[in-house]
Amino acid sequence: MFIESRELVMKHKIPVAKTSKYWQGLEEGKVYKTVCRNCGRAHYPPRAECLCGGEVEWVEIDEEGVIEAFTVVYAIPRGFEWSKPYTIAIARFGDIRVMGWAENVKVGDKVAIKTGKDESGIWKVYFEVV
Amino acid sequence: MRVGIIGVGCSRFGRRDDVTIQELSYEAVKEALDDAQLTQDDIELSIVGCVGTRSYELMPAVPINEYCGFTGKGPMRVEAACATGSAAVYTAYTSIVSGVADVAIAIGVEKMTEVDTPTSLAIGGRGGNYLWEFHQYGTTFPGYYAMHASAHMAEFGTTEKQLAMVAVKAHRNAAKNPKAHFQKEITIEDALGSRYITYPLKLYDCSPISDGSAAAVMASEEKIRELGTDDVVWIESVGYGSDTSNMTNRESFVGLKASVIAAETAYKKAGIDRPVEQLDMATVHDCFTIAEIMAYEDLGFCRKGEGGKFVESGESDLGGKLPVNTFGGLKAKGHPLAATGVAMVYEVVKQLRGEAGNLQIDLKNYRALTHNVGGTGHFAFVMIFGR
Repeated sequence: MFIESRELVMKHKIPVAKTSKYWQGLEEGKVYKTVCRNCGRAHYPPRAECLCGGEVEWVEIDEEGVIEAFTVVYAIPRGFEWSKPYTIAIARFGDIRVMGWAENVKVGDKVAIKTGKDESGIWKVYFEVV
Repeated sequence: MRVGIIGVGCSRFGRRDDVTIQELSYEAVKEALDDAQLTQDDIELSIVGCVGTRSYELMPAVPINEYCGFTGKGPMRVEAACATGSAAVYTAYTSIVSGVADVAIAIGVEKMTEVDTPTSLAIGGRGGNYLWEFHQYGTTFPGYYAMHASAHMAEFGTTEKQLAMVAVKAHRNAAKNPKAHFQKEITIEDALGSRYITYPLKLYDCSPISDGSAAAVMASEEKIRELGTDDVVWIESVGYGSDTSNMTNRESFVGLKASVIAAETAYKKAGIDRPVEQLDMATVHDCFTIAEIMAYEDLGFCRKGEGGKFVESGESDLGGKLPVNTFGGLKAKGHPLAATGVAMVYEVVKQLRGEAGNLQIDLKNYRALTHNVGGTGHFAFVMIFGR
């Protein structure tokens, strides 16, 4: 015997003011990391404050990357019902790694970094095998 | 100051449509109190581990505490994703060591089947860094481990068949455990022929979505002497490690650094440098088959990259040099998140006391290990127990 709970819908407003350059960049086809002018450390996901206290600059990631890990998601979570099975990959671009969607990749593949809007209207990173 | 486990309890794992989260908790609490021959009056502090979110009670600690009869004694709620149970044991342990309490109970409970599978996947997929992972890319919990599997297979040639062997072993043990979620054996062919959940992990590479609870009554050595408890399993050492929320910021994908750090800490304190020879058994965090293979390596049961060969060798089977996950592991016993770490303590205590029935291992060192990972190596606890 069951009683159904009352429905609770949660949608959060996520503040992205400090990383707005990143989110705007996606819509312009650019993927940014931040690099500290003081200690030289690169950050991805980008962060507006380096832990050393130094000032960061926004640097576009435009070199060739290499796939280090991937999976093809067949058991699809709520929020992605609109999608067919999708591939999530992690690629290394020099001193940082980036997560993105890809197709037909395997570990070791060389990829180019792109951006695009998915069917649910969210801008994100895509990798294309070179 | 030594801390001992004086009572353990564990509910039947599985789809538990018959109980609320409070009622489920009490099953383990009652067994643990009876086992310790104590009552609620003897407990000074309760630690409630519950990841929650999948169950209807969003702030579950107080309702659980009330139902179990501990009102006014805690509750202190802890959360460390799938390592929540160990976080509860750790918190009870540190409370006793610090003198805050002489007798404490660690409760781990999870009710995961009150929401549907896509919702459960969407909650587990938030077990990293939401904005940079799930929000954009739809990461799932199996997906995080599948990415590790892809890297492990590419670097070391680990095979889907070796992954399947972990599942077959788990089911073989769980078939003899009346509290396990799955009580049936499977074949390599069953495992290899099952559908992909998230490539390269198939249905039988994944632990199920389970409900369950476990509890452990713990006390200081002085209190144990006062109580006159004679059958005590001692916590010899605890190790803890953690790592980044973003998977992109990890050092590598072929192991979990948090596990390595936790093991180094626990081994050092307990004087262990040859775990396979010095321990009688281990419970390791096998939420997915690849997790058990990485655990063999990260815990030093074999060299990095040789986890697949270790399962092939049969050394982790019942009767092997170091039986692993004798009660069926997360993979087949079930993985009710917060219950898991405490259920590992339940298993180790039952084995070290010689009360494990037809799953009993041979005891020679009277020492055993628990290894509990939260998220994909976001947290890790390794504890050494001795009797």
